[in-house]
Amino acid sequence: MSDILKVENVTLQFGGVKAITDISFNVKEGEICAVIGPNGAGKSSMLNVINGVYLPQIGTVTYDGVERQSINPRDAAIAGMARTFQNIALFQGMNVLENIMTGRNLFMKSTWLEQGLNIGRAREEERVNRLAVEKVIKFLQIESIRKTPVSKLPYGLQKRVELGRALVAEPKILLLDEPMAGMNLEEKADMSCFILEINKEQGITTVMIEHDMGVVMDISDHVVVLDYGKKIGDGSPSEVMANQDVIDAYLGVSH
Amino acid sequence: MIYRETGNFVTNYFKDREIFPLKFDKVVVILGLLYLFLYVPTTSEYFLSAHVIPILAVGLATVGLNILTGLTGQLSLGTAGFMCVGAFGTYNLMLRVPDALMSLPFALLLSGIFAGLVGVIFGLPAIRIKGFYLLVSTLAAQYFVWWFFNSYAWFLNYESSGVVAIAPKFYDYWGLGNFLGVDMQGYPARYLLALVICIGLSYFAKNLLRSNTGRNFMSVRDRDIAASVMGISVPKAKLLAFFISCFYCGVAGGIYSFLYIGNVDLMIYEVDRSFTILFMLIIGGLGSISGSWLGAIFVYEFPIIFTWVGDFIFQGAFNTAVVENVSNMVYGVFIIALLIREPGGFAALWATTKQKLRMWPYPH
Repeated sequence: MSDILKVENVTLQFGGVKAITDISFNVKEGEICAVIGPNGAGKSSMLNVINGVYLPQIGTVTYDGVERQSINPRDAAIAGMARTFQNIALFQGMNVLENIMTGRNLFMKSTWLEQGLNIGRAREEERVNRLAVEKVIKFLQIESIRKTPVSKLPYGLQKRVELGRALVAEPKILLLDEPMAGMNLEEKADMSCFILEINKEQGITTVMIEHDMGVVMDISDHVVVLDYGKKIGDGSPSEVMANQDVIDAYLGVSH
Repeated sequence: MIYRETGNFVTNYFKDREIFPLKFDKVVVILGLLYLFLYVPTTSEYFLSAHVIPILAVGLATVGLNILTGLTGQLSLGTAGFMCVGAFGTYNLMLRVPDALMSLPFALLLSGIFAGLVGVIFGLPAIRIKGFYLLVSTLAAQYFVWWFFNSYAWFLNYESSGVVAIAPKFYDYWGLGNFLGVDMQGYPARYLLALVICIGLSYFAKNLLRSNTGRNFMSVRDRDIAASVMGISVPKAKLLAFFISCFYCGVAGGIYSFLYIGNVDLMIYEVDRSFTILFMLIIGGLGSISGSWLGAIFVYEFPIIFTWVGDFIFQGAFNTAVVENVSNMVYGVFIIALLIREPGGFAALWATTKQKLRMWPYPH
């Protein structure tokens, strides 16, 4: 299968700090790619470069056949990238339904005048997009909290709502930043099921940052390992597990 | 018990979007609106002119500020400045456009659009700055507008006193008054015009709040980075919020000058008024349209009721200075108390009360 995403020689600096140094990797269409590495390895920065929140100083990201040095987040969303954040970035003042509805904003073509008068396309769009949102709500089994303000939800459910918000945009590629952080075993199992189902049933390519090695080795097709902003491993889960550099990075090495 | 949600099943998504899902609510609201229209014969001209019309004007400005500050999270202290643009815009449209082409309702809406455009210009810094820094930019708008109308006497038709009384012919509405045999300059007619505009614009704001545009505004308020990652154009949302908000403020300014005090006077639109409207917004509840109206009623009526209480119980012991100072202290106390106990303001208190009543008598 072809590569949907190619990261080439990306370097990202904040002042004198090099967050990412000369990293290249490819993500094939339809796979689950896990990005792992110790804290501060540059994983989240990598995602931020991919969807345009950060601009890399050097290097390009080729997505869907278009090579760019930088993309702005809005164009990335229009091109079919959706993502979740490490420290949940839900809209705290809204309820679950409204949060997920915002994920459909690119499908809303009516003008604010129509929406304010509640006429014409605006009414129909609300209904059609609500149907799409309800499908996702059903898939994630969060029907009962539809109208709950997100600030009142427990952490695990907030993560789920955030996944829903990304999913409802019908993306080609889903970037998940630690979808299972801080969850218990049961919640992790649920989340893994959702990710696998999204990937296998809907064919959405998934790039995921994750710390739980069990989950990573179980569900991903491809693992990229970062350490101190450099890539130290790239390959199938079994290859990466056997990689001496990776073992050193995680377990330490005697000097 | 009539007021129960039990048994009200929503069977499709259109129904789920209704503003008043309960039949009881619907009946109450329709009766309430009917009463507002049939209100005129039951009250005095004095009450309309001194209480109701000014509340309609400042309440509309509060709704406007709510769209910008409550919904989109952009702080603004330029409210009175934008109202001023609306008032002067209406005056000049009525004065300079031939009578056959212009009529007060249209002039109000058109000058609202002027105010909206001015708002967009002063909203441009919002693309790059947030919070308190933006507050300074909108404060600049307030002072700039004031200075501008003070410096260019053309806008006041070279009236040397700085105040122009509004000519009776401006209330003509293309001869509608003669046709119906009603005094269009009288307060009942003014009240009805203000009421229609306020109900219409409140409905518009409520719809906007529940639609995609409203959700975009709120997402910019809550997390602008997440909003942009989801494909929302943050600068566009902010500027649109400025436009719509300032449109409301402009119309409110026109109503205040034309339908309430009956003259165009720069002194009314000083920065104090921006603060008063901000108080109304905070006390009423950020992000709620009905809250804006509650806040406007409370802040506007408090000094009046306080004076009245003083007159009746303490034989006029409170002079105007006392009333004004006490009012300001009370607003301060209310704002602090609400910010600590209930940041949602009166609107949230109302929602909580409704929730409690709904559960009553078994709260668990």
